[in-house]
Amino acid sequence: MRLETETPQQHAPRSGLILLQALVLGLFCLFTLRLWYLQVHKGGTFSDMARDNQLRQVLIGSARGRILDRSGTPLAVSEPSFALGLVREDCEDIDGTLAKVSEWTGVDKHVLSETVKRGKKRVKPFEPLILITDLPYEALARIEANAMLYPGLEIVVRQKRYYPTGALMSHVLGYVAEANEDELEKNPQLSLGDSVGKQGLELTHEDELRGSKGRKQVEVDAFGRQHNEFILEPPRAGADLKLSIDIGLQRECSRLLEGQAGAILVMEPDTGKILSMVSQPSFDNNMFVLGVPADKWRELRDNPRHPIQNRVTQGVYPPGSVFKLLMAAAGLTEGFVRPGDVVACPGSYRVGNRDFHDWKKGGHGSLDLRGALVHSCDIYFYKLGDRMGIDRLHDYAVASGFGARTGIDLPHEKAGLIPSKEWKKKRFGAAWSKGETIIASIGQGYVLTSPLQIGRYLSALVNGGRLMKPELVETEAPRVDATLPLKDGDRQVILDAMVATVESGTAKSLLRSDAVMAGKTGTAQVVKLINPDIRRKTHEMPYEQRDHAWLASWGRKDGKTYVVVCLVEHGGHGGEVSGPLVRKVFEYLFGPAPGKPPRAAGAAPAGTAGEPAVDPGDVGD
Amino acid sequence: MPFDRRFILSVNWSLVALTAMLFGVGVLNLYSASGFRMGDELSMQPFYNRQLIWGLAGLGCLLAMVVFDYKYLAAIAWPMVISTSVLLVLVLVMGKTVGGAKRWLPIGGFAFQPSEVAKIALLLLAAKILSKRSERLGWLDLAGILAVSLPVALLIIVEPDLGTGLNVLLLVAGLILYRGLAGPVFKTLAIAGPILIPCGWFFLKPYQKGRILTLFDPQRDPLGAGYHIIQSQIAIGSGQMWGKGFLEGTQSQLRYLPEKHTDFAVAVFAEEWGFMGGIALLTLFCLFLLQFYVTAKNAKDRFGSYLAAGVFFYFFWQILINMGMVLGIMPVVGIPLPFISYGGSATIVNFTLVGIVVNVSMRRYLFKKG
Repeated sequence: MRLETETPQQHAPRSGLILLQALVLGLFCLFTLRLWYLQVHKGGTFSDMARDNQLRQVLIGSARGRILDRSGTPLAVSEPSFALGLVREDCEDIDGTLAKVSEWTGVDKHVLSETVKRGKKRVKPFEPLILITDLPYEALARIEANAMLYPGLEIVVRQKRYYPTGALMSHVLGYVAEANEDELEKNPQLSLGDSVGKQGLELTHEDELRGSKGRKQVEVDAFGRQHNEFILEPPRAGADLKLSIDIGLQRECSRLLEGQAGAILVMEPDTGKILSMVSQPSFDNNMFVLGVPADKWRELRDNPRHPIQNRVTQGVYPPGSVFKLLMAAAGLTEGFVRPGDVVACPGSYRVGNRDFHDWKKGGHGSLDLRGALVHSCDIYFYKLGDRMGIDRLHDYAVASGFGARTGIDLPHEKAGLIPSKEWKKKRFGAAWSKGETIIASIGQGYVLTSPLQIGRYLSALVNGGRLMKPELVETEAPRVDATLPLKDGDRQVILDAMVATVESGTAKSLLRSDAVMAGKTGTAQVVKLINPDIRRKTHEMPYEQRDHAWLASWGRKDGKTYVVVCLVEHGGHGGEVSGPLVRKVFEYLFGPAPGKPPRAAGAAPAGTAGEPAVDPGDVGD
Repeated sequence: MPFDRRFILSVNWSLVALTAMLFGVGVLNLYSASGFRMGDELSMQPFYNRQLIWGLAGLGCLLAMVVFDYKYLAAIAWPMVISTSVLLVLVLVMGKTVGGAKRWLPIGGFAFQPSEVAKIALLLLAAKILSKRSERLGWLDLAGILAVSLPVALLIIVEPDLGTGLNVLLLVAGLILYRGLAGPVFKTLAIAGPILIPCGWFFLKPYQKGRILTLFDPQRDPLGAGYHIIQSQIAIGSGQMWGKGFLEGTQSQLRYLPEKHTDFAVAVFAEEWGFMGGIALLTLFCLFLLQFYVTAKNAKDRFGSYLAAGVFFYFFWQILINMGMVLGIMPVVGIPLPFISYGGSATIVNFTLVGIVVNVSMRRYLFKKG
């Protein structure tokens, strides 16, 4: 048996065979070139791209530091908050699931659908898309129990700032809220959805509180699933911030001012540490943490009593007679008066063609400096101011820390104002008039101070002349910013006069037998009276026309000294309204006063027959 | 004709060996493509072992294809084409929709793709018709062959399965060119082709246009159609000269690579074995294709030669289109790479067609009775 082959070309078309060979050759060349180009020529580039694909640096959040009061009571903490997320990839029936979620939580299904629609662009299908932030507890329990039946639902735990003391500390602490575009851009540490301090200490101590995020390298697949983790840098938790605030005192001061608009500041004069800083009315800073609804925000912003304003640092008012302390210091230092000089007070003082009246009809007779402070004689200081001139007064006040920020670590502090000829020219383009000096010398007119400035000045008078930086943080070392331009002897004269003011002057309500008490009242006029000769009783005036009542005081017991500044907006006369409040503050600080209080505590009730019988010396200041 | 043992000697063993090698490479590569890393663990999806089972089934089909004389294939060509066309229509009417395409007929718990059988049927028929022509093809011949193959191809394309439909048309076109066109016909087509092809643009679906546009500019749609191209090129390119090693391909193990066990399986291979591996695989494919050339050249009759040439084109187009797509020089068309991409029906068809060519090769001698 022989095998016979036919000539191969007989059945296969020649051109066809050539075509097949050419095609194989072409295929080989084409793909060899392409593989060379991709793998050898550009291999390095693609290698880098592959690495970038899979390795992602992820920031690890750090726990925000707590804020505590001086005894360690937490004022700001981070607590877990539970959000409900939806992993779209795992969810078979998004619509049905949303309907269920709506049923459990009471959130409208349309709202949920909108959230999903919006989130689709930004959240990968494998990542939880947050449907509801901050689930209430009962909803959480309900979802936990049912989530098994609805794949894709996930409880996401996040850190949320919580202020246990709420409105009590809002002005001091401020609040955190989600970082906005600007903040994200300025700080590369922040990522979308992070909270940052927006106000108060949360803002000024942001860096310490936030700590620093860690970084980890994560191997990520195309779905965003994480595979391997490698910590490059562990996160550093934020430091706790311990404040000098005494939360009990804060609560007491807050209670005392309830229903009023005003401020109370309690300081340790030697250290500048602040024990209490209360501004009323207040707001609950917790509501800012998760974002304030626009209508709530408007309500807060447009409230005529400005709950958001921290009156201690941002409220500036004419200091009224409290300013006479500074005037006395200026007169003594600059050599315009000596403590023993007696000045006549006939009840009015003429400057140019205008008469300036004392608050006391008929005047005080003759007074030395101490008497002028104790009885808060206006004429004495009119004369002093007139002799000094506004510019000297201005320079001395500025050297004593007025008209400038104190440098406290709270944002948006107001500097207040001490007028000068130059300032008026700049501001109004008008010349200064002598009459304005007269007004300024009793702390009215253009002069504006904040309770914090008054507190700092008073502390300096008490502590030997050191202007301290007001300090809210317990751990900060006390810092002396400047020294008062005031001789010790002169300082003592002023302090003694303040003590006498409590004993026999306008601040009698502070008197207690177990402590050295001292004070200076002030009434800041809000409206210029059309007829200054007709003085109306406070309760006869409409609220917004009533004067602001000041009381700047200090007390010493068992070697402990405290400065308390109280301001009640539209409270009428300083001594009447603020006195009883400050008395209560000292009762907290020093314990209850032994024996009977010299007068009934409590503000003068408006328009009742039971007005406390006050002697004329108490009414004015 | 009784089965002669001497046939065994005439078998194109190179073809069998190359087929086995390609299939082996494919299973190995699928083993890698089946894995995805979760932390330090490599989880496996059961693609490679299923592919092995398909391969065994395919081997059965290959063996079944050599026991009879291939001349009978010419006899069943017409009935096959007609019956598969009926099945294709049935699929459109009552088929199972998977991923937006109606390609499967459920038959006794088994999903059956008529389009796969249609490919074989059309190949047989085209080989049969063309092998009867002793002259180069004129207009009439051309019209005849197209009249048969176009409807079948269209039935597949509307499923929609553009890849398979295109493959069928190209296969027929390849065979036509193998036979050769008469001078005037060739000239006319050579001039008209470039003019007609742009007209086809208007018949494409928007997503298909997108794919073609994306080919020229993958960044046009980096997360859509371009994503496949970009990620595939990153996978291949990052393999560099020697590759990242077996099971070490980050692109594929981390699932950046789409369709990594089907259409883009060769990208996994290129990522893990590098340029050297890529060239080796390409060489295997070219040698594999050359076996069809050898068989076509040495067949004892025209039908055998055309069968081998048809199978050549069947594989050639798939290799060209799939690798062209994966390497980013052709639009994304869902055509698998023979033996490398995972696929049950495709594996069976591939083995079957190799079997037919083995059949042709072993019966290349006429035995003289003597």
